[in-house]
Amino acid sequence: MRGLTAFFSSIINLVLVLLIAPLFDGVTRKVTAVVQSRKGPPVTQSYMDLMKLLIKEDIEVGDSPVMQRFSALLSFAAILSVALLIPMGTSAPLSGWADSILLIYLLTLAGISVLLAGLAAGSTYSLVGMSREMMAMMTLEPLMAIAIIVSAVHADSLRLDAIFGGAVYTGSGLLWSRILILGVTAFALQAFVGRMPFDVTEAETEIMEGPLAEYSGPKLALFKYARMAKMFLYTGLFIALFVPRIETGYYLADLAVFLAEQAVLVLIVTVIAATHARYRIDQVVRYYVVLFVFALLALLLAVIGS
Amino acid sequence: MYLLSKIRETILSLKAGRVTLTYPVDPRPVPERFRGRPVFQPEKCIGCAGCANNCPAREILIADPCQEMRVVMYLGRRCTYCGRCADLCPEKAIVMSQEYENASPKVTDIRQNLEIWMGTCQRCGRCFKDAGPLDQLMMKGYRFDDLGAELWVYKSRAYLDKEPVVKDINIELD
Amino acid sequence: MLKDFLKKYFGRSLWVYHCNSGGCNGCDIEVVNVLTPYYDVERFGIKLVGSPRHADVMLCQGPAGRATAPALKRAYEAVPEPKLVFAIGSCACGGGLWHDTYNIIGPIEKVIPVHFYIPGCPPRPEAIIYGVALALGVVEKKAVPTEYHPMKFPIVRYHPEDIHVEKGWATYDKLEKV
Repeated sequence: MRGLTAFFSSIINLVLVLLIAPLFDGVTRKVTAVVQSRKGPPVTQSYMDLMKLLIKEDIEVGDSPVMQRFSALLSFAAILSVALLIPMGTSAPLSGWADSILLIYLLTLAGISVLLAGLAAGSTYSLVGMSREMMAMMTLEPLMAIAIIVSAVHADSLRLDAIFGGAVYTGSGLLWSRILILGVTAFALQAFVGRMPFDVTEAETEIMEGPLAEYSGPKLALFKYARMAKMFLYTGLFIALFVPRIETGYYLADLAVFLAEQAVLVLIVTVIAATHARYRIDQVVRYYVVLFVFALLALLLAVIGS
Repeated sequence: MYLLSKIRETILSLKAGRVTLTYPVDPRPVPERFRGRPVFQPEKCIGCAGCANNCPAREILIADPCQEMRVVMYLGRRCTYCGRCADLCPEKAIVMSQEYENASPKVTDIRQNLEIWMGTCQRCGRCFKDAGPLDQLMMKGYRFDDLGAELWVYKSRAYLDKEPVVKDINIELD
Repeated sequence: MLKDFLKKYFGRSLWVYHCNSGGCNGCDIEVVNVLTPYYDVERFGIKLVGSPRHADVMLCQGPAGRATAPALKRAYEAVPEPKLVFAIGSCACGGGLWHDTYNIIGPIEKVIPVHFYIPGCPPRPEAIIYGVALALGVVEKKAVPTEYHPMKFPIVRYHPEDIHVEKGWATYDKLEKV
């Protein structure tokens, strides 16, 4: 019975991610356009982009076409697997079978797939983009891992339903480590979803789109979809970790509240992205290192028990 | 402080509203002295070929198929809309219109082909300003007959043999 | 079958790659102007991308020079099917002012096939949007080749053996033999 519930719940989660992630991307583009005083693309534009990419010809050149196919599929699959571990409205579908170590692993895997993509293409621009992405990822992925671990330390367990749903206040007043890690994750949220100030690797015209420069057609559709899903999932993760859950008892109402909170976060992320310029790679790494120091401090405080 | 400045930046951008022009739906006005595509008016052209001589892109081509006719062909593809041809034309037959919507799938689509009928000087055969349809009848190749005097009157000797071919008709030579 | 359904959406989201093979950058600036808030072309779904492999439409400007013609051909081959090529500006359409200089092969149609021509030096951003809208089928073509022929008078040639005179009137029997 639990297995069946988990099965249906995971299907619903997947369908939600697949349908709503391009909508969030469309909203991002529209809000960016409004901030830039122009009439932007329609909100459904990202769906049309993805559909158009599916009918393009697939050109496979480069060092290893097999690795190219593998990295495209890996990126999409890893991101969709994360969708099964995030509570959207109710508890996460696989919460009895997976724990937070798997979540950290899958998030890192999704990041690594872009590195594989850059290596598999093999052109100069791809390699430059890939090396920048590697530098950024090395200092960025630990931040989300530490956020999850701090929640795990406070909940004394690695189970998913134990680490999600806890808020800044639990029982014994304010937890300094939770506040610190909330600050760190909030400052790094732009970086996790890969939007403007920290856009160094994903979508730039300086090095011809970076690691994805050699992909075309359906593979590019998979990478773009993975990027849109990342926005959905990281905001969902942020809400699950730090925002207290409002239990109304009805699944649809919970879901609507979850989506509304995500929409607010997406709006904030977009407005920040539209008003900032891109940071250079050394500025980016310096920023992440400072945040990492604070995150370590928060971990220390959590372990001491504050 | 930094955050406040960013918020102020956002509010400023939003205050400007949407400045996008709805161009393909509504037509856009052009500035007054805007130089668009040159339009050739064949009624005024005298076929002097000054425009062809002066075009920096060599886009106006002239050919003479016969003594009386001159073909002026404007191929639009290299035209830089500089306006030299319009500036130079002694009869103001070229007008720089204000049309800029010249895109098309075929490059031959903005070609303008004019066949100008030239009036020729009777002594040397070179062209001069064409005076009108009536005078075109007076040229070589045409004749008018004097029906009252029942005479054929040739205006040119080019169509005549040396001796009269028909014995009982008086042909008056000009 | 899925492809036919998806083909409808091809015109709604065109990704553009801008390629300059030796021009003066005037048309470059006009093309980039088209992406600014004033003439915003992103409302049609058109996005500028940095790599030819992501693009559907190649906007070429500048004539094909001797050194840049192979690079232009390689960029064209890197664009995946289905693709469109737009030649923007008088240099790309016909060679421009430089058509007979020492390092220009000619217009870009000597190197790659072109689907739409947008003449101008540089073409107004509205003219570029008009060209794009023409490609999408939203507006109708306005440029038509014009020809002018003056009135033709039949030049009559007379053959003396067909003329006969009676009662003082001379008539010509074969008037249709002109």
